[in-house]
Amino acid sequence: MTVALERPAIAAANPSKRRRFSHGAVTPYLQSAPLALILGAFLLLPIIMIVVVSFWDYDFAAMYPDLLTTNYSDVLGSWVTWKTYLNTIKFAAIVWALTLFIGFWVAYFLAFHIRTTAMQMVLFLVCTVPFLTSNIIRMISWIPVLGRNGLINSTLVHMGLVPKPIEWLLYSEFAVVLAMVHLYTLFMVTPIFNTLMRIDRSLVEAARDAGASGWQVLWNVIIPLAKPGMAIGTIFVVTLVMADFSTVQVMSGGQSASVALMMKNQMSLLQYPAAAANAVVLLVLVLLMVAGILRIVDIRKEL
Amino acid sequence: MTNTIETKTGISRRSLLKTGAAAVGLAAGSGVIPGFPTIWAQSNITLRQFGTGVSNLNAIADKCKADLGITLEMTATDSDAAAQRAVTQPDSYDIADIEYWICKKVFPSGVLQPMDVSKLKYYDELVPLFKTGKLTADSVIAQGTAPHTVGYVEAQDSKTFAKAPTNWFTMVPTIYNADTLGIRPDLVGRDITTWADIMDPAFKGKTAILNIPSIGIMDAAMIMEATGNIKYADKGNMTKEEIDKTIDFLIKAKQAGQFRAFWKSFDESVNLMASGEVVIQSMWSPAVAAVRSKGIACRFQPLKEGYRSWGGGLGLAAHLKGAELDAAYEYINWYTSGWVGGYLNRQGYYSANMVSAKKFMSEDEWGYWIEGKPAKGEIKAPDGTVMEKAGAVRDGGSFEERMGKVACWNSVMDEDRYMVKRWNEFIAA
Amino acid sequence: MSHEKRTFEFYVLAAFFTLFVLFLYGPLSAILILSFQGETGGLTFPLNGVSLHWFANLFERQAVGDFGGSFKRSLVLGLMVMIVTVVVSLLAGLAFRQKFRGATALFYLAVASLVVPSIIISLGIGVVFQQVGFRPAWYTSAFGAHLTWTLPFGVLIMFAVFNRFSPAYEEAARDLGANSWQTFAHVVLPMIAPSLIGVGLFGFTLSYDEFARTLMTSGTFNTLPLEIYGMTTNVTTPVLYALGTVTTVFSFLVILATLGAILYVGRRRARV
Repeated sequence: MTVALERPAIAAANPSKRRRFSHGAVTPYLQSAPLALILGAFLLLPIIMIVVVSFWDYDFAAMYPDLLTTNYSDVLGSWVTWKTYLNTIKFAAIVWALTLFIGFWVAYFLAFHIRTTAMQMVLFLVCTVPFLTSNIIRMISWIPVLGRNGLINSTLVHMGLVPKPIEWLLYSEFAVVLAMVHLYTLFMVTPIFNTLMRIDRSLVEAARDAGASGWQVLWNVIIPLAKPGMAIGTIFVVTLVMADFSTVQVMSGGQSASVALMMKNQMSLLQYPAAAANAVVLLVLVLLMVAGILRIVDIRKEL
Repeated sequence: MTNTIETKTGISRRSLLKTGAAAVGLAAGSGVIPGFPTIWAQSNITLRQFGTGVSNLNAIADKCKADLGITLEMTATDSDAAAQRAVTQPDSYDIADIEYWICKKVFPSGVLQPMDVSKLKYYDELVPLFKTGKLTADSVIAQGTAPHTVGYVEAQDSKTFAKAPTNWFTMVPTIYNADTLGIRPDLVGRDITTWADIMDPAFKGKTAILNIPSIGIMDAAMIMEATGNIKYADKGNMTKEEIDKTIDFLIKAKQAGQFRAFWKSFDESVNLMASGEVVIQSMWSPAVAAVRSKGIACRFQPLKEGYRSWGGGLGLAAHLKGAELDAAYEYINWYTSGWVGGYLNRQGYYSANMVSAKKFMSEDEWGYWIEGKPAKGEIKAPDGTVMEKAGAVRDGGSFEERMGKVACWNSVMDEDRYMVKRWNEFIAA
Repeated sequence: MSHEKRTFEFYVLAAFFTLFVLFLYGPLSAILILSFQGETGGLTFPLNGVSLHWFANLFERQAVGDFGGSFKRSLVLGLMVMIVTVVVSLLAGLAFRQKFRGATALFYLAVASLVVPSIIISLGIGVVFQQVGFRPAWYTSAFGAHLTWTLPFGVLIMFAVFNRFSPAYEEAARDLGANSWQTFAHVVLPMIAPSLIGVGLFGFTLSYDEFARTLMTSGTFNTLPLEIYGMTTNVTTPVLYALGTVTTVFSFLVILATLGAILYVGRRRARV
């Protein structure tokens, strides 16, 4: 959002050209060293460890270093895995579509229909506040709303719209999707808002002058230019949903499965190599999805 | 936040501790403590304990500080995280407060050290259930991971569980209970007598069981056997075929919409019941009390097949030694010396040392909670809220009636890999 | 654009936006209301009277757990993460302005850090610490775990900032005789200060609320999200909601403070 604030000052700068400076050749290495070190120690090393452990053997109480592929054949050879992955991907797809739709229109409204920067910031912050409350509490907060005797059901019954409470509001896939949309929409709004704010308004004016209708401007000018933001938002939402376990657990009342939940169940009985094999499969899948998105949009250039 | 434990002490401190320890034991045992704790207070000993919220109570830490001068730093987690922490972060605690079924996996991993029975002052007073598996001489040993089966190891450095009591205790039992179905008597509309009643089509979409695989499968096993679908050789240690049958049965019931939810934590079970989402479900005794304290009718229904039981205990981290280890023994002796026992009993759980706990309970409390007698006056929770009015009788009756009818204990099966695999199928179905 | 009349599109979108805001705040208002639940009330509707009982209860000692301690830990951890995130992403942002070997790899490593499921990082760091024999703690292992989540955000934001940062200012400063440190301190830093504050805010709030990554890395003591999760195994009273209300208000204050800081910096810059 602060990036958006910066816009007026630097709109003139050409985004695609990055200059080379004549500091010493060592400088960039020194400057990037902390990042590389931290990611190396806390990202690469743990992942390598997981990959290693996923080939280990384990029995009732302990793990043994080994080079087995049974953990993988167990994971990939079971229809549960496939069904669970499909289920998780289904959640990811639905939540992605909904957050993209909501996120785009909210960002579009903020960027193109709110006239002052101050008002834009205020409304943007209004959207942000709930996202800073504990995720767990935000999730739990749906329960008194959706429950059998919750706010919605008691209102509907009271108004005589339904004869008895609607059951599928809570502890259902509907509830999972609803809570996820609630939890993750901001991750879509922010990057889209950011890219929309950087669209040169004269482009829009030019298109109008050339006789384009509102929809044509939207479809042929704004949406193509907003793609990088959508891509970044998509990466956020898809990865968050793919890795989710607590939302699925709480909102489906334990009736629905997700990949991370499957891992958690294995971990709860200390079957780490099995969980690790699952983790590697999930990781590969998520990285492939993200690589696919990055092929479509080079976010590095478009940031 | 203080992670430093100042126990690297010289000889004088050690000898001081030794004599002090004996004195503390005496003082604590007799229930007379005043003026004593100076030695431990000076030694500045801190013990770090973790476990579920069920027994990691701040009141115990406060009392421990006051009585022994030992600072107890308690961290409460959910039961999954507790098992994880026990095995993966063995340096992060001194005392592990875990359940017996997970002890079956935790202890062999080498993160705990067995304790010397001769150093346990109240060992003889502990309920025999944890030593022989029998509450009284003629009781039948329940199926599943009964605490006594994982209660002893062969020797100090051994990781194999002993078949009969030895001098090396894996954990000191502290808290346990017998679980059954909780019901909303106002909403079920009929007598509930068996675990099979949870499958009654009349309660379709209004039932729940536990979603912790090792415990949920036991709920399912009780139900399966009650409906006459199967007769297990040992429902706490099923064969693959038995697991298949049980899970297939669960999947069918789930797909038919019999269950409203599967709960994982205490509060979920209370909310499911209190909000009317569920009218009959597998439940813990204090959860029933929590529902009732909101003015909602709820009963902990004894069933003819008996109870599904669980037990927890305190284990010593493998890294403990010297003064810390002495302090840990002292703490454990204090724990079993009565005050904590009374406190746990008053919450609806059971203490492993009933003899000492009795001294810390009023006659009426003892009568209501343990003997199954009608309450003479108001029965209050440790925090002072009224739990039951005069005249109330505890569901399921006395301690002997309840713990004497345990059908099985929460279990880790030999086929647990297969079980979790199938459990994941059940959740995915 | 500001001279146009409000279009039909505006009203439709305004209604949509309002609905979205209602959707965001609906359940939050439910917990807000329920945190004022009467003394005998439960976690769900209906209200049994209105009281401040649960707020008072929140600041008393609970039967289980330690809100105060875990809040303090989360606060300190959040601040540590914030400072390191700001410094490291600023340095990395500067580094990426030049070409260096491995730049692309490092960039994609940062992106990967963002997309690797939290629970995997948590498990991995936990296992590494165990195998290496380090003692996990919230200020070591959990600190690192949080950084793998906040740094990519910081780096991406800095990337975006420097992508559109005209070197003309720096060239001008250098022409006026400033050395490279002076150029950085007096020209570059003030211009990117608002973005740095944004990075800091991101770092703090992402860490403050991080659950999955802390799960297996926190060591002996709980951070606030872990504590809240642990509480749910025993607490069945609206004190949870009171906690929710209080943390929301706290987050709100953090945002206001950040906004204040940005405005202050902006005004100072305008004056210069």
